[in-house]
Amino acid sequence: MPISVLVVDDSAMARKMLIKSLPPDWDIEIRQACNGEEAIAAYRQGRADVIFLDLNMPGIDGYGVLETLQAEDLNCFVIVVSADVQPQARERVMKLGAIAFVQKPVDAAKLEPVLREYGVVV
Amino acid sequence: MSLNLLTEEQNEALQEIANIGMGRAGRSIAGVFDEFVELSVPRVREAGLDRLPAAVADLIPDETLTAVRQGFFGRVRGEAIVVFGITGCRDLAGLMGYGSALEDCEEDELLLDVSNVIVSACLGGIAEQLNADVCFSAPSVLASHVPPAGLFDRTSAAPADTGALIVEVNFRLERHSFACSLLMMLPADSMGAIRRALDDFLANF
Repeated sequence: MPISVLVVDDSAMARKMLIKSLPPDWDIEIRQACNGEEAIAAYRQGRADVIFLDLNMPGIDGYGVLETLQAEDLNCFVIVVSADVQPQARERVMKLGAIAFVQKPVDAAKLEPVLREYGVVV
Repeated sequence: MSLNLLTEEQNEALQEIANIGMGRAGRSIAGVFDEFVELSVPRVREAGLDRLPAAVADLIPDETLTAVRQGFFGRVRGEAIVVFGITGCRDLAGLMGYGSALEDCEEDELLLDVSNVIVSACLGGIAEQLNADVCFSAPSVLASHVPPAGLFDRTSAAPADTGALIVEVNFRLERHSFACSLLMMLPADSMGAIRRALDDFLANF
């Protein structure tokens, strides 16, 4: 069965860049969300084994999504993808249960080691 | 009012590229104030020279504005102008631990420093992602505490076909926040260069 991948970013451009950077031979079903609310809804419907999550979004931001998911047992891998390069941003999301913090601009070389480390891609 | 300087797709690409640039600016600002900076998503708007004062007044509703200019050169050349409202100036002074009454020279120095960080991080980041080298002139104060209409009197040397891309900048720190706008003034040939660079960038996706 394909893995459900959820790409969350308010920028359509950023979502495109991320999807383009995913391993080409990865058996996945991709869904997109353009804000935190949509992301949480998709997670609750069980449509997110792996979430690529932007931090700075209008409405519920990436931190808010992580807090909600953590309160609901966080039954998925969350990889934060952000333009925020402050070390504190990384610390905050790792505390909230993200498995990795990838700096924008994202590319395949940045994503692959993370996906391999967690065995989501073999 | 949109001039259609950029297509919707080009605007979206520039916005995401500016977002990455502002992330770097945020880190530098965090270093200056030793505090975590909350970033906002920068929106990119456009305006012609004639509409610029109105567009700026729209974004910064303060009665008087102060602006710092900095030239940039390379494949894309033009002038970057960072505009602060009087509120933004006061907020910044508060952040630096100054009282409300800043000496003019202290205020200028502060604004020059902050502008330099924003311009080099944002434009440097944009240039890097568009594979274009860019260098900057030293920042200087364009106008201090003038009404919006007076701000651009001194840019009258700019060619009439100059277009401006306006990037909204908001940084929120734990105890304070400040907002300013970054204007990228681009003569027509540079606007063409930035369009081509954005198209090259978009062709990757």
